[in-house]
Amino acid sequence: MSVVVIGLSHRTSPVAVRERFAFAEAQIPAALAALRDAGVAGEAVILSTCNRVEIYAATALAPAAAFAGLKQFLLAFHQAGGGPEPELYTLAEPESLHHLFKVAGGLDSMVLGETEILGQLKKAYDLALQHRHTGARLNKAFQRAFHTAKHIRTDTNIQRGSISIASVAVELAEKIFSSLAEQEVLVIGAGDTSEKTARALMSRGARGVVFANRSPERAQALAAELGGRAVPFEDWPAQFQGIDIAISSTSAPHYLLDRRRLEPLLKPRGEKPLLLIDIAVPRDIDPEVNYLENVYLYNVDDLQAIAEDHQKSRQAEIARCEAIIAEKVAALLTPPPLNHS
Amino acid sequence: MNWFTDRHFFLLAVLCYGLSTGYSVLLWRKGFRKDNRVNYLLLLAGFCLQVTAMSLRGFSLRHCPVNNLFEATMFVGWTMVTAYLVIGLVSKLRFLGAFVSPLLFFLGIFALMPALDPPHGPKPEFSGAGVSLHAAFILQAYGAFGLGAVAGLMYLLQEHDLKFHKLRAIISVLPPIQKLELISMRLLRNGFLLLTVGLGIGAAVMGQHKDGYWSDVKVLWSLLVWAVYLTLLVLRWKFARGGRRFAWGAVAAFAFVVLTFWGTNLLSPLHHQP
Repeated sequence: MSVVVIGLSHRTSPVAVRERFAFAEAQIPAALAALRDAGVAGEAVILSTCNRVEIYAATALAPAAAFAGLKQFLLAFHQAGGGPEPELYTLAEPESLHHLFKVAGGLDSMVLGETEILGQLKKAYDLALQHRHTGARLNKAFQRAFHTAKHIRTDTNIQRGSISIASVAVELAEKIFSSLAEQEVLVIGAGDTSEKTARALMSRGARGVVFANRSPERAQALAAELGGRAVPFEDWPAQFQGIDIAISSTSAPHYLLDRRRLEPLLKPRGEKPLLLIDIAVPRDIDPEVNYLENVYLYNVDDLQAIAEDHQKSRQAEIARCEAIIAEKVAALLTPPPLNHS
Repeated sequence: MNWFTDRHFFLLAVLCYGLSTGYSVLLWRKGFRKDNRVNYLLLLAGFCLQVTAMSLRGFSLRHCPVNNLFEATMFVGWTMVTAYLVIGLVSKLRFLGAFVSPLLFFLGIFALMPALDPPHGPKPEFSGAGVSLHAAFILQAYGAFGLGAVAGLMYLLQEHDLKFHKLRAIISVLPPIQKLELISMRLLRNGFLLLTVGLGIGAAVMGQHKDGYWSDVKVLWSLLVWAVYLTLLVLRWKFARGGRRFAWGAVAAFAFVVLTFWGTNLLSPLHHQP
């Protein structure tokens, strides 16, 4: 039996097509059983995430026949015969195994090197395993893929460095403060990115968060959701004595905070560092404040530049990851030596 | 010729510190991205060789080897490398080694200058348990001040990178600046306590018996160093003068100690008997 893959992903299909072919977790055992009953696959695993829908199958059929059967199954299962033809990719050995290893290592993900996909792949495999839809061929391929993903994570820099503004802000905070558990966050203007940044800081253990927004309802809703508190927008300067990180993203047409305004707010803080994240365009914080002692100001371009640099570093690691994968796939496909004893 | 003298072991230790310094330069050029295990092992090897050297010297003298400038410098280095090896058990703080090794290498090269280690006469320059204890406490204090200065230097580097948005601030494995400041402050505080005890023992043992003790250059210099560190710590605690100013203070105070320690020793009749 050889391993084949058929599927669609963020690389080939827009979300409108992907969602038509997505499998709910509860549907998967029945789908796997139907696939095997149809005689298309001896073993099968279905991976269905927001970015991809893939069927990994071990089949005795020739690849062309297997692909035709799998495609027919996909269209029939989702009753998608009437819609436009999806752009399905089909891969036979060794490309199918190479693809599986790449997916496990996060090399085929929208965010290069992300680890969430490995968890999703393990869950998809476990589901198939529990319902006895895998056998020696897929078990070995998936176990090796998981092992290779671990190898890639530890031996290369593919997952190193944050590549979103929110996670770069968290990394910066961790380079300034001994522990985020003692730090309070102030969010001035609860835009989408500042909300994500506040969430990221809270998920890494920040002590608390204060929201000051022109629309008090949104501030209160976010405060309730993240376990923080909301204050009237005009009260944000009064919070500076107790906070350590301020994220600003208002739509004000001028600087909200400048050197003249910040200096008196710093005095009661002593030597405590203050991290200012200015995500607003036009900017909310005068760049001059960065010259003040113990103040560290980063605007959206600074954060973006760091994220892009990390992205470039990850791109540079792809060749190393590919080499590891090629070696592991070759080892998987090499038959064990015969025992002559 | 005996190839296994204490000085030869110390020379090998200094070579380890030299290798560690070279490796630290490589780490620096790469933006401190890598884990620092190699440096830790090199400094551990240097430590073992240095302990052997100090033990050989101590057994031959039958007391603590802090009797001339070679031994005193070796003792300061030993204090620093010991403290580093303990601190470096915490992986996040292991990077201190990249900054400690150049200082150890410099101290080692200096200590190996032959003029600093004249043959001991029938009686060493300093003798007696009280005097040995006085010297040991003070030299340990200088070791702590040295490490405090190293942590201060790391703070200044990291703070500069954060302030000027250098990518190295994020990609390096240096600890956060708040932690570096705390380490520096604790080392200076412990060093100050050791110096206070050491000076107290010195005054108790020698102040009663030696004429001109309180006008001796080294005694006056030591009191000045004590006052400098006291000022730094009081400013830090009472007036919240931490951050960059404190780090610069730690570095400048230790630079003053390093640059004047041996000179004042030579000028001091109590500590240097030609």
